[in-house]
This record gives sequence, structure tokens and C-alpha cells, in this order.
Amino acid sequence: MSSSANDTWTGSGQDIRLEAVSKIWGGHRAVDNLSIDIPAGTFTVLLGPSGCGKSTTLRMIAGLESVDQGRILIGGRDITHLPAAERGLSMVFQSYALFPHLSVAENIVFGLKVRRVGRTERDEKLARVAGLLGLSELLERKPGQLSGGQQQRVALGRAIIAERPVCLMDEPLSNLDAKLRHEMRVEIRALQKKLGFTMVYVTHDQVEAITMADQVVLLNAGHLEQAADPRELYRRPATPFAARFIGVPPMNVLPGAALADIDPGLSPHSVGLRPEALVPTDNGPLKARVTSLEYLGADMLIDCETAGAGFTMRLPGDREVAPGSEIRLGFAAQDLHVFDGQSGRRRDDLAEETGRRMAG
Amino acid sequence: MTASHTDTTPQAVAASAPRRKAFDLDTALNTFAAWVLALLWILPLAFAIWTAIHPSAYEARFELFAPLTFENFEKAWAAAPFARYFLNTFMLVSLILAGQFLLCTLAAFAFARFTFPGRSVLFTLVLLQLLVMPDILIVENYKTMRLLDLVDTIPAIALPYIASGFGIFLLRQTFLTVPRELDEAARIEGASVLGILWRVYIPLAKPTYLAYGLVSVSHHWNNFLWPLIVTNSEETRPVTVGLSVFSAIDSGIEWSVINAATLMTTAPLLIAFLLFQRQFVQSFMRAGIK
Repeated sequence: MSSSANDTWTGSGQDIRLEAVSKIWGGHRAVDNLSIDIPAGTFTVLLGPSGCGKSTTLRMIAGLESVDQGRILIGGRDITHLPAAERGLSMVFQSYALFPHLSVAENIVFGLKVRRVGRTERDEKLARVAGLLGLSELLERKPGQLSGGQQQRVALGRAIIAERPVCLMDEPLSNLDAKLRHEMRVEIRALQKKLGFTMVYVTHDQVEAITMADQVVLLNAGHLEQAADPRELYRRPATPFAARFIGVPPMNVLPGAALADIDPGLSPHSVGLRPEALVPTDNGPLKARVTSLEYLGADMLIDCETAGAGFTMRLPGDREVAPGSEIRLGFAAQDLHVFDGQSGRRRDDLAEETGRRMAG
Repeated sequence: MTASHTDTTPQAVAASAPRRKAFDLDTALNTFAAWVLALLWILPLAFAIWTAIHPSAYEARFELFAPLTFENFEKAWAAAPFARYFLNTFMLVSLILAGQFLLCTLAAFAFARFTFPGRSVLFTLVLLQLLVMPDILIVENYKTMRLLDLVDTIPAIALPYIASGFGIFLLRQTFLTVPRELDEAARIEGASVLGILWRVYIPLAKPTYLAYGLVSVSHHWNNFLWPLIVTNSEETRPVTVGLSVFSAIDSGIEWSVINAATLMTTAPLLIAFLLFQRQFVQSFMRAGIK
């Protein structure tokens, strides 16, 4: 169906800008003073635990929820008070929201029909989208006769057929099994790259965020914790929350006193060390007692205790460690994260200072 | 294999026999009761059919091989303008159904998906309408029709029933079951409010429309008292009123002719019910009040 001549997509993305946007539910600030920049044509993931305001933010961008304070711009145009249909975007819902009484073809062209696009143009676009998503054989079926993955593709088809500059997705993969989820992750990402629209994608799954995003916007209780690309988020988390949200198992955040042997100056602050950054060394600076261990095959997770604080480290599965034994641990200076005791923000100056002491 | 099989079978039957017998008694009682009720229910209809297709001599005499005849139907059809009555009834139920669908759909949609001040008060008022016997309002309704100068017209018979509280309630309940996300998806795709109603809500409520339509049609096909009062000419009378006028003309009551006429007037409904029986019952179960 999709000949190469037919395969040029004219759509291109537009940038989205949230300026101090707030949403207030009966006194509770579900989204609090949120400012985000989403560059045109990028894949941005809104990530956070449930109730952090990520879906509300997406629905405000979509125009399904009113904005109480602040403004939203798409392509430089203030769309804060425009109805959803006039914002030039499409959306994929968690439940897919396919119309059960319409066939796959009718579902995909629903928006074109509503906007009175001519039949020939409609059929042309339908054929192209169906070819692209591998739905050509299923066009006459009803959504109820499709598998979860196929329904997901139909929802994608409906979102991309009009070639809108912005596409929003609200946890689109949460109803699929693990294998299919992986396939769809790759497919959605490839589709976004190919068609060039700006994607805003909501999920609570950090794996989805890390694997798909150009930019991850991490939210917590309505606040912006950090907006950065996935590598930056993993390497230089801005807050202890960001540090613990990204990475499996989460980063160990210990009271600074645990490293008092190296740098007494750390005591009022918190220090973060990833489980994979810790290595047993005979004269390492961190003394700990092994409390339990969990063997996973390729590697193992070891729970330790130091100065009353528990933490976890990850070692290759062939290492011999006995529960109850005392070990000394070391880490590379650049793997140490320090968070301010007062503000909770990242303090690279303190980390560097400690690094110098370790070297010296 | 076969030998051992035949050996065990009688034992198995003997073992399970008492339990099966007790179970059978229960079913038998149920079946018996069902049959009795069904026979009681069908008796008048059976009598009407019997008298209608036999000469009047067999009205009270049951003979299996009594001669069949269509004479009674011919007589009844000739005795009163039934064609006109049928046309009137047909126009009446169509008008009521169309009016109810339009009004109840819009009202139900408003109650289901919009928040506006006074919504719950208004909806309570609609529900209260279900508690009012329509017959109480006959005098008031008649006065209103006089005021509108509509007495003795088909719209006069239809108007009091168009704003149906039951219809609004039933459709509202159905619309509430439509997932919000479908509404939102249609909104993002650019559908207007009425477009969403037309393209999403109404198609999804089809079973409810079918069930409600059948109830409404059969109710107004059979309605008698109000049409009797508000009509007084041949051009407006529905079949029910026509039938009663017809059966009152002759002082000598000819049951066979009356029953033939009755059968004629109820036949369209009976046939419709038999055709749609399954959808009818199913859609009511699906549209069940939640």
C-alpha cells in the first residue's frame, strides 16, 4: 500500500511551552506553578508516581481540563483557553477510547469525517496509515474483535492520520503485556521519529521514560523535580527524589554521617550512591555489615547496613559474600552524589570537595 | 472395555437416581407452574382467535372440526372505517415516538453530561413525573388542549406523552455508562457537542432506543382513555377508540365479529413482538436500571 512516493509525511512538530501553569482542585494544588519547555519534534515523557499531576498536565495541554493559572503555548500561539479541537493536536488514551460501534477504518478516519475531508483524500490517508501500522487486513473489523496490541495500533492510526503537529499519549501501554509493550515502545518511538511530530507521553514506568524519551520531565506532588534527557537524569539527578525514581534498584540515599570518615563536612547533608557504583575494596572508606542477599543469576543484590542506615549494592553473581560478614566498600569519586541538607538540591561543589579528599 | 463399561453404568445410574429424582421434582413444579400461568394468559387470546375464525354458531361451542371462515373479519372491516383508524394510530405512535426520542435524547444528554445550576432539582422533578398517574391529569390536559385549540386532532393525543420522564431517565442511565474517554476522544477529533451526541452517544444507546421504542409504541397503541376523551371524529380516532365505538353500535353483541376486529387491531403489535421478542428482552436486560 505505502509506495515510496506516497511515503512522504508533511507534518512537522511544534514546540510546547508551559508557563507557571497550575491546576487547583478545591484548594489542593494538583499541578503547582509548572513551567516546561518542549522543543518541536522531540519526544518528551512526563514521568512520576501516581497522583503527581502528570495526567492532569497532559489533559490541560489537550484542553480537556481548564488551566487555573499560567498559560500554555503551542508553536508560539497562546492556546490556554482554546477548545481542544482547535489546538492542532491528537491524543491516544489509556483505554484507547476506540468507538465500539465503528469499524477500524471508521475509527481511524473519524476526525477527518467530522472535519468534512473529502472521500478520496480520506481513503488515500487511510490506506497510507493502515499500511504504515499493518492494519490493512483489519479495516472492516470492530474494535471488540481485535487484540490489545491491534487496538493500540488503531488508536495510533487515529492519532497520526491528520498529521497534527502535536501528539499526546496518556499511559498508552499500560494495558499490554510485557513483550508487546517492548515492541510498541520501539514502534511508537520509530513512528515519532519518522513523522516528526512533537510527542508528549505520560507514564509512571521509568523504563518507558528512559528508553523512549529525548527529554524526561519528572514530576512529584505537582512540582517539577527535574527536566533533563535520560542520561543526565541518571547521571546527575537534581534531587533525592529524582535519584531514587530512576534506576533499578533505586539509588541509596544515606545520611552524610555515613561517610564522615572521608569528609566530616558531609554530615549535615545526604549522600547518594547507586547500587552498581559500590564495589568491595579491602581499604574502602565505607564499613558495612551484610544483612541479606538476593541472587538473580547474572548479578546479585546485597542488602547492607552502616551506622544504622540500610542500603543495597549490586555485584556480579559469581562473587562470594556471606550474610553477617563485615565488608569494606569503595566507589569512584564521580559516582558520589551529594544533596543539600536544607534545600534537598544537588551540591556538585560538595561532591567535588569530597572527591579531592578521597584522592588526597 | 465395553464389558466393564456396561457393568458400571447401571450402578452409576442407581447411585445418582435419588438425587436426580429430587432435582426433577423441583423442575417439574416450576414447569407446571409456568404452563399454568402461560395457559391462563393465552386463554383470552385463544378464545378470540377461536371465535374470530369460526361462524358465530360456534362462539360457545368447542368442536375441533368446526368449519373455518374469514367472514367475521370481512364483516368487521366493512362495519367500521378500520383503515382510517389504523392510519390514525400509526400516525399517533410515530408522532409520539419521534417526539419522545428527540426530547428525551436531548434532556437525557444534558442530565448525563453537563453540570448546570439546578440540575439535581430538575432531574428530581423529572423523576417525580414517574409517580404521577397520567389519568389524574386528564382534565388539566383537556383544558390545555382547548387552550391550544387542538381538541380532536392527533397532536392533541400525542402531546401529553412526549416529555416522558421514563424515557429521560432510561436514556440518562444509558448515556452515563458511555466511557468519558470516548467523549473526550471525539472532542479532540473536532466533533461538536451535538456531533458527539449523534456520533457517539446515540449509536451506543441503540439497544435502549429499541427497548424504549417498543414499550412506547405498544403503550400508545393500546392507550384508550385519553384518546377517547380528546377525539370525537372518525378522522382522528385511533383503533382502540374506534373498536370500542364499533362494539357499542350494535345492541346485539356479535362476539365473533368483535373478536375478529380486536384481533385485527392487535395483530401488528403481536407480530412485532414475536419478531423482536429476543432483542426486546435482551435490550431490557442490557438497558437494566443501574
